[in-house]
Amino acid sequence: MTRYLLRRTPSILLVLFATSVIAFLLPRLVPGDPAAVVAGPDAPPETIAAIRTQLGLDKPLITQYFDWIGGLFTGDLGQSLQFRRPVAELIGARVGSTVQLALLAGLFLVIFGIGLGILAGSARSRWARTLVEGTNTGFLAAPPFLVGLLLILVFGVIVRLLPTSGEISVLDNPNFGFQYLLLPALALALPMSAGVARLVQTSMLAVRQEDFVDLAVAKGVPPLRISIRHVLRNSLGPAVVALGIRFGDLLAGAVVIEAIFARNGLGQLAVAGAQGNDYPVMQVLIVGAVFVAVIAQLLTEISLSALDPRVRLG
Amino acid sequence: MTEPVTAPPRRRRPRGGTLTRYTTAFRTPKGIAAAILLLGLVAVALLAPVLAPGGYDEQTRSALASPSGSHWLGTDEFGRDILVRTIYGLRTDLSLILTAVPVSLVIGTLLGLSGYVSAWFGSLMQRVLDIILGFPGLILGIMIVLIVGAGWTALFTAIVIAGLPGFGRLARGGLLTEQQREYVLAARVLGVKKSTVMIRHILPNVVDPLLVQASIFMVVAIFIEASLSIVGLGIRPPEPSLGAMLNVGARYISELPSYVLGPGLVLLLLALAFTLLSDALNQAATRR
Repeated sequence: MTRYLLRRTPSILLVLFATSVIAFLLPRLVPGDPAAVVAGPDAPPETIAAIRTQLGLDKPLITQYFDWIGGLFTGDLGQSLQFRRPVAELIGARVGSTVQLALLAGLFLVIFGIGLGILAGSARSRWARTLVEGTNTGFLAAPPFLVGLLLILVFGVIVRLLPTSGEISVLDNPNFGFQYLLLPALALALPMSAGVARLVQTSMLAVRQEDFVDLAVAKGVPPLRISIRHVLRNSLGPAVVALGIRFGDLLAGAVVIEAIFARNGLGQLAVAGAQGNDYPVMQVLIVGAVFVAVIAQLLTEISLSALDPRVRLG
Repeated sequence: MTEPVTAPPRRRRPRGGTLTRYTTAFRTPKGIAAAILLLGLVAVALLAPVLAPGGYDEQTRSALASPSGSHWLGTDEFGRDILVRTIYGLRTDLSLILTAVPVSLVIGTLLGLSGYVSAWFGSLMQRVLDIILGFPGLILGIMIVLIVGAGWTALFTAIVIAGLPGFGRLARGGLLTEQQREYVLAARVLGVKKSTVMIRHILPNVVDPLLVQASIFMVVAIFIEASLSIVGLGIRPPEPSLGAMLNVGARYISELPSYVLGPGLVLLLLALAFTLLSDALNQAATRR
């Protein structure tokens, strides 16, 4: 394990370094003077000069980069241009909302993805399989935002069962908080779980053809035990990989879902930041998103080796 | 598509011929359904100026009117016909993906195959593609919006860049299996230039999975446009796109559900058409 982590470190550091450079160069890639863009069309020269100092544009490029990176490591994430508050404070106020959404959606993703996959991969009756495959194809074609809008229409407009706009933190009020969280999390998880389910299904059907399953049947192992201990465990590999890769998509999907359900999370901050050219906020969010995605991928590979001892991390 | 017989002889290939192979894709039920859906959607988009000569900005007196005989999907907050705007939105979406995806396909393929001509450049490009792949989808789009500014150009750039890793890695994989084959070595021994071998000899043999990927990526491209437009970073009003209409429509979802359902349905049909097309192409390509 330690050796594996040591071996992977250089490539992870390379990706993170490249990301940090791209994020750092972002305000400088914009055509024209970024300070003037930020200040707006009618800003007096003094304001532009002040913003230039604030963005650090008056120092040499290398110094600027190391100042910025040093700030990231010491917790000084800079000052938002738009909200005139520290970036750390803005992110701190919103990170809870997004984490709650991502956790519940991740939980749904695992339950529905693997559950549907098992159902489709082991159903004996033909119609059960057709039903599962039908729902799967439907969700595969539908992106999270359409599922979200449909859920709003059904549960918010037609039946009026659940709130569709705004949020209450689960930590403040578990009952109401969960109600506000349910629809967004479902909208985020359902379309992605279809992809996971399809992977579980195909690999379960393939594993069923293996010799060790025949052996288990011959030994007289009960069918349920065969499905769980022999087939399922050997089929989860691709699903785990898919879950790990999709964690990044989950974050990206959260941006759109937060907009549709009017949740005030990190996604909304990213959208506001992009609309208002708020570079200090965007730089931190971009590095953070890539960091989380890279860590998720690393955890995937580690849990894959726990599931299947043949996968050696060495 | 021309008859296989009339294809110029020098383009004929030993096994079956490329054109025949792709025309068989449109003889399967999936292929037929995909062709009908796609042709229908493209025809509607092309005929938009004929179907609605007033353009997407023509206003009527009643805002947010319910669906009726004269306005099948009702009217929007400025009294503009939603169906007309949906059709013009479809036009925007098609104009975007049908230009951006081919560009991404060509650049990505060339980057992937470039390892044959220059090994170090090929490896370097694979590292670059890995880094692009590390960015969660929408974050990449938002970054490009920050640099280019919201609008058609940003969406075009975002789709092109987002597609590069997929095409580049497929092409590279094909290159690695093909470059040791006898016909490639023979061509080199005969003194054919490396760049010619890459384009004329290797490319035709790796093109099948690339075309399937292009069709799959069309769906992704539609969703990139819609996602960015829904959060307000895509096509700018008053110009309609399917995503931009969903953005505004979501605000009026309880008063006028058809504002969301109309564009949403067209978006789904478009995605469905390309999903079916990729399935049909995949079948035709694997069944040689």
